[in-house]
Amino acid sequence: MGLTAALTRAAAARPRVLLVTTPGGTPVRLAAEKELRSRDWPSASTPAGADLMLVAGPDCSRLGPALERLWQDMPRPRVRVRAVTADEVASVLEAGRARLATPEGDRGGADRTAGEHGHGEPGKHDAESVRADHAKDDRGFEGGAHARHHDDGPEASGHGGEHAGHGGTGHGDGDDDHARHGHDGHGHTGHGHGHGGMEMPGGLAMAEPGEDRDGLTLDRLHVPLGPFLADWPAGLTLRVVLQGDVVQRADLDDPPAGGPADPFWSRPWLRATTGEPVCVGEAARRRAAAHLDSLGRLLSVAGWPAEAVTARRLRDDLLEEAPASAILPRAERFTRRVGRSRTLYWLTRGVGLLSAADARAASVTGPAVRAAGGDVPARYRQWLTEVMDAVRQLDATAPLNPVAQESPRGRWDAERPPSAALVKLLPRLLVGAELGAARLVVASLDPDPDELTACRLEVARG
Amino acid sequence: MAEAGTWWALPAAPAMLLVFAVLAVAADAALDARNAGRRITAHTAVRPLLAVPRALLAQPRRLPAPDRLLWRAGVITVPVAAVLATLVIPFGNRVVADLSVGVVWFNAMEVLTWAGLWLAGWGPNAAFSLVGGYRFLALGLAYELPLMFALISAATGAESLRVTDIVGAQHGLWYAVWMPFAFVLYLAGVLAFSFLGPFAYPLGRDVADGVLGETSGVDRLLLQAGRWLWLAAGAAMAVPLFLGGGAGPGLPAWAWSLVKTLLVLAVLVWTLRRLPMLRADRYVELAWVVLLPLSVLQALVPALVSLTR
Repeated sequence: MGLTAALTRAAAARPRVLLVTTPGGTPVRLAAEKELRSRDWPSASTPAGADLMLVAGPDCSRLGPALERLWQDMPRPRVRVRAVTADEVASVLEAGRARLATPEGDRGGADRTAGEHGHGEPGKHDAESVRADHAKDDRGFEGGAHARHHDDGPEASGHGGEHAGHGGTGHGDGDDDHARHGHDGHGHTGHGHGHGGMEMPGGLAMAEPGEDRDGLTLDRLHVPLGPFLADWPAGLTLRVVLQGDVVQRADLDDPPAGGPADPFWSRPWLRATTGEPVCVGEAARRRAAAHLDSLGRLLSVAGWPAEAVTARRLRDDLLEEAPASAILPRAERFTRRVGRSRTLYWLTRGVGLLSAADARAASVTGPAVRAAGGDVPARYRQWLTEVMDAVRQLDATAPLNPVAQESPRGRWDAERPPSAALVKLLPRLLVGAELGAARLVVASLDPDPDELTACRLEVARG
Repeated sequence: MAEAGTWWALPAAPAMLLVFAVLAVAADAALDARNAGRRITAHTAVRPLLAVPRALLAQPRRLPAPDRLLWRAGVITVPVAAVLATLVIPFGNRVVADLSVGVVWFNAMEVLTWAGLWLAGWGPNAAFSLVGGYRFLALGLAYELPLMFALISAATGAESLRVTDIVGAQHGLWYAVWMPFAFVLYLAGVLAFSFLGPFAYPLGRDVADGVLGETSGVDRLLLQAGRWLWLAAGAAMAVPLFLGGGAGPGLPAWAWSLVKTLLVLAVLVWTLRRLPMLRADRYVELAWVVLLPLSVLQALVPALVSLTR
C-alpha cells in the first residue's frame, strides 16, 4: 500500500495531458498549452497515453458522446477536468494533479470521472453512471492492472462501437453511426481470418475490399479524422475512406453548431466591423500570433516538435503584449531556421497543390491565395513572411480598416468567413493523398472552425 | 586483445546499456527544457523517468479483438533485441561474447526490431497503429541496405566479422577517418533503428503516435525504453566499428570506450531535434538513388585496399 501510494504520487508529478479543445475554446487552449509547457507536463496525442484529460472550452452538447468515448478509452488511473475560461486553467490543472496523486482507494467511487468538480455538476459523471451507460464496457474497473486477464470474448462486441474513433484516429467521432465505422475501421481482417458464416473475431465485421487507385483490391477502412485529433482544427470532422494509408474519399461533417463561440483569431476584425476603434498594431499582433499558431501545428504534424515549441512560445509572448523589440530577433531566427530548412522543403514540396486560380475560384482569400506555388512549403513560407511583416507593424496606431486589411485567414466577412472556403477545399485536396500528407494539407490551410460556428449563429439569428 | 567475458560481464553489459540510455533521455529532457524556456536543473533531467512508476500503475489496454499474443511479442522484442545486440559490443578490453560473426549478430538483432515494431503496430487492431507499423517497414526499406553496407565497409576493412578484430585492425587510423561516409550512414541507421527524432515516422504525431498510440502502461514503457536502449546500443557499437574501440593515449581502454560512447551519444541526441521527421516516401527515393550507390562505392574502398595489400 505504501509503495503504491508512493508510486502514485511520483507518477502524478508529471501527468500526461490529453488536451481536448471544444469549438470556441481557442483562448483556453492557448492558456493550457502555455501552462503545460511551463510545467513540463507532456501533451498526449491519444487517450491511451494520457492520465489527465483537460477539456478546454465551452460545453458543446453535440460533441458530448465523442468526449465520453475518449474518456472511456483512457487507462486508469485517470482524471478528467474542464476549464471553461482561460483564467481557471492553472487551478483546474493543479486540482487534477492533486486528484491523480491520491491513491485510488482513498478517492472513493466517484473518483476519476468526477473531474468536473467545481463546475456545478457533482456526481454527474460518477463511476456508477458511467458503468450504467457502458454496461458492456467493464474494462477492469475492479483492480485496474488485471484487465489484461479479462476475456475478450463476446462481450467485446460492445467495444466495437465504443472504440470506433479511437482505433482510427486516437479520438472519437461525433455521431451515432460510429459503430459501423468502428467495425470497418478495426476490421482489417481480410487477412485470412474467417469469412462467411464463421464467427467474426470479437464480433467485429470484416472490412470490405474494393478497387484502389492502383488497380489493387485492398480493404477499405472508414476512419474519422477529428473532431478531437491532436494538432487538428478543434471540432472539425472529416470522414475518410482509407485503402492502405491512401485517402480514397473524404467527406466533411457539418461543423458542430455549438455554444456561442466568437472566433478568437479574428476578434479584432469583428470588433472593427461593429465600429469599435481597433488599431492596426493590435490586429497585426493577432495576425502574427494566429500564423504562429498555425505554424506550430504544421510543424508538429510534420514531426519537428522542437521548432513547434519555438513557434508556440513566440505566439504566447505576442499575445502577452511582449514589445516588438523582444519579438523581432527571435521571430527572425525562427523564420530563418524553418523557412530555409531544405529538409522540410524537400519533405513537403508538391504536397497539397492548390493553384492560385483554383483557390480564387473557391473564393479563398488570405495567405493560401498569395502563396506562390500553392504547395505546403509555399504556404508555410507565406505565413513566415506575413509573421515578419506583422511583427514590424506591432506599434502602428492607425485605425484598422477591416475590409482593406485581412484577418489571419483572409478577408473578414461575417456572412462568409474565410475559413468556410478553406474547409470546402479540404475533401478535394485530400483525395489521393497519403495519410501523413493529408494531415499536412489540413495543417497547411488550418481553417478555424470557430469562424464557422460564428457564421452559423449569425445566420440563425438573422 | 579482448578478454573473454568474465561472469560479471553478463549482467554488467545490460546495466551499462541502461545507464547510457538514461543519460540520453536526461540530455534530451534538458535540451527540451532549454527550448521551452524552462529552467534546467538536475530535477528537469530526470523527470522523464517518472514515466516508470506511471507505467507500473497504469491499466493495460482492452481493445476490440486485439491480437494479444503478437502484440505482446512485438512490444517485448524491441528492448530485448537491443540488450542482446550489446553482447557482442566490446567495452574497453571486455566483451560478453566475442562471436566470430559479431557484426552479423548485431545486424540480425537490429532487424528483429522490424518484426517487433510491425507486430506492435498490428496487434491493437486499430488503423493508425497499423499504419505506424507499416511505416516502419517502408522506412526499413530505405535505411537498412545503406546501413548494412556501412557495417560491411568496416568488416571488409578488417577482413573479419568479429568485432574485436575490427577494433584491432584500426591501429593508428580510425575507420571513421577513411570511411567517413560509412560512419555517417551508420549513425543515420542508429537513429532509424531507434525510431527517434527524424526517424520517428512509425510513431508520428500525424498518425496520433502510430505504433505507440494504443499502448499504455508497461507496453508503452517497453517500447519507449526500447527506442533509447537501441540508441545507446548503436552509439556503443559505433566506437569499436569506426572509432578504434578502447584505443587511445593515457587513459585505460574502458575510459576511452566510455568517453567515445558518450560523445557519439551526445551527437545523436543533438541531431534528434535538428531535423523534421523524414517521410518514408521521400526518404526511400534518396536512399535508393543516392545513398545506396554511394554506400556501395564506400564499401569498395576497403575492399580494394585489402586486395592490394
